[in-house]
Amino acid sequence: MPKIKIVEDDLSLAKELKELLENAGLEATITTDFSNILEELKREQNDLILLDINLPKLNGETLLQQIRKEQNTPIIMVTSKNNELDEVLSMSYGADDYITKPYNPTILLLRIEAVLKRSMNNQETLNYYNIKVIPQKGILKSDKNEIILTKNEMIIFLYLLQNKGRIVTRDEIMTDLWNNNEYINDNALTVNISRLRSKLKEMNLEEKIETRKGQGYILHE
Amino acid sequence: MNKKEFIKDNISNIIIRIITLIIILLILFAFKVTLSAILAITFIYLCSFLIEVIITYYKKISFYNDFKTKLNNLDQKYLIVETLTEPNFLEGKILTNSLYEIDKSMIEKINEYKKKSEDFKEYVELWIHEVKLPVSALTLMLHNKNEDKKLQEQLSRLDNYLEQILYYVRSENAEKDYLIKPINLRKVISNIALKNKDILLEKKIDFIVSDVDIEVLTDSKWLEFIINQIIDNSIKYSKEQNAYIKILAKEEKNHIDLAIYDNGIGIKEEDLPRVFDKTYTGSNGRGNKNSTGMGLYIVKKLINKLGHKINIKSKENEFTLVKITFIKNDYYKVAKK
Repeated sequence: MPKIKIVEDDLSLAKELKELLENAGLEATITTDFSNILEELKREQNDLILLDINLPKLNGETLLQQIRKEQNTPIIMVTSKNNELDEVLSMSYGADDYITKPYNPTILLLRIEAVLKRSMNNQETLNYYNIKVIPQKGILKSDKNEIILTKNEMIIFLYLLQNKGRIVTRDEIMTDLWNNNEYINDNALTVNISRLRSKLKEMNLEEKIETRKGQGYILHE
Repeated sequence: MNKKEFIKDNISNIIIRIITLIIILLILFAFKVTLSAILAITFIYLCSFLIEVIITYYKKISFYNDFKTKLNNLDQKYLIVETLTEPNFLEGKILTNSLYEIDKSMIEKINEYKKKSEDFKEYVELWIHEVKLPVSALTLMLHNKNEDKKLQEQLSRLDNYLEQILYYVRSENAEKDYLIKPINLRKVISNIALKNKDILLEKKIDFIVSDVDIEVLTDSKWLEFIINQIIDNSIKYSKEQNAYIKILAKEEKNHIDLAIYDNGIGIKEEDLPRVFDKTYTGSNGRGNKNSTGMGLYIVKKLINKLGHKINIKSKENEFTLVKITFIKNDYYKVAKK
């Protein structure tokens, strides 16, 4: 389970953030003492750091530079300063992403996942039961046959696959689609999911996507 | 200052001289002074008077004419003091010294206000960043507790108003706090789409984007604010049925156009020329949509600062089309190579 460090001085915000990350199946820790933050970060083995720019006594950008001298744990800068110059500076100091407050929680999760994926470099081929998923080509492959998914169907299937065994809300799927520049509406999402279902059926994977009324969908393991 | 004006200004002086001359002549006649002596005295008197007038005239005319042309040519009239050469007559000296004093006190006063407005601006920026913390915390709380989207919508509105004041302050500020670099329009549109996703879905407005994979030279944050304000209006003034917003970018020879089109309630023709005016809200049933009339005003100011262009076309009850034009910069291309 990826371990995420939240470096944020606003305690109520940090706690909510922790809850958000834990609900999404990540391990999150917060910090209350900022005087030894650099040592603390050195000591711990984090997979990702969410770093606020405005910290008591020290500046997040300076801290970022100091961390970068020692380690290359992925860092996402979080700030309420919506300013191009700050963003360019942070990125040049070695941040992996830059997010401004207030952020949409789902988008924050997507960005965290993206950075984690990049750093872990998990290029493992995606498999689900007897089928092989090839996102670049947009196809599902089994021993016997091959099926083409549309771009939207592939985005939805990949999201379900990455979160299999967990209930995924329509909003999460929708956010992921919009995040991939596919601005579809509610009806289109319903249509896409039912088409995805029938395509899975062709691959002899019936009833794998279950609808949980009022909650979302779940892809069974 | 010409000769006529000069004579007119010195008319009392001239009259006194003439009267004096007449009195002298009368006295000389009364004392039966010889005619040649009278003529000699008159000649000397007139000569000395004339010489005095001419000297003063040329002294002053060179100074005042110089003063006037410089004043006319100056953009910032108060800078006149810096350009003048020290005059060699008393009035002129008094004038330039006074102007210098006046300027100095005015500049001091201006600096005082500048400082105050800078302090205010700094405080507002700081304040906005502070307010964003509870807004963020609330957003997370609502999400974690799986609350109704309606609450989140109100928070988004609040955030939008916060952005408005932030960019208002930025647009009023003389100093340059933006950064121009090549930005892909698709990235900016994508951020805006995600920001407005919930309300677009709820209001069943289709969001159609095509051909926006183009780089422009701009400040991405400022541009994001600008386009977001336009989209916000499109959403606010959308129709109930079959509403859509279309975004399209097009690369021309010397510029890039970004078009944002909606099939909403549009803008009345008579309102169109004034949509960028401060606090102008127009008619067209827009009054009850709680608009401040500041959005487009700020947009226009930012657009001007960034050196882009914006124009709006609309037909009431049919459509609104906002076009932003980015100039292509050849210098940049050269530098990049």
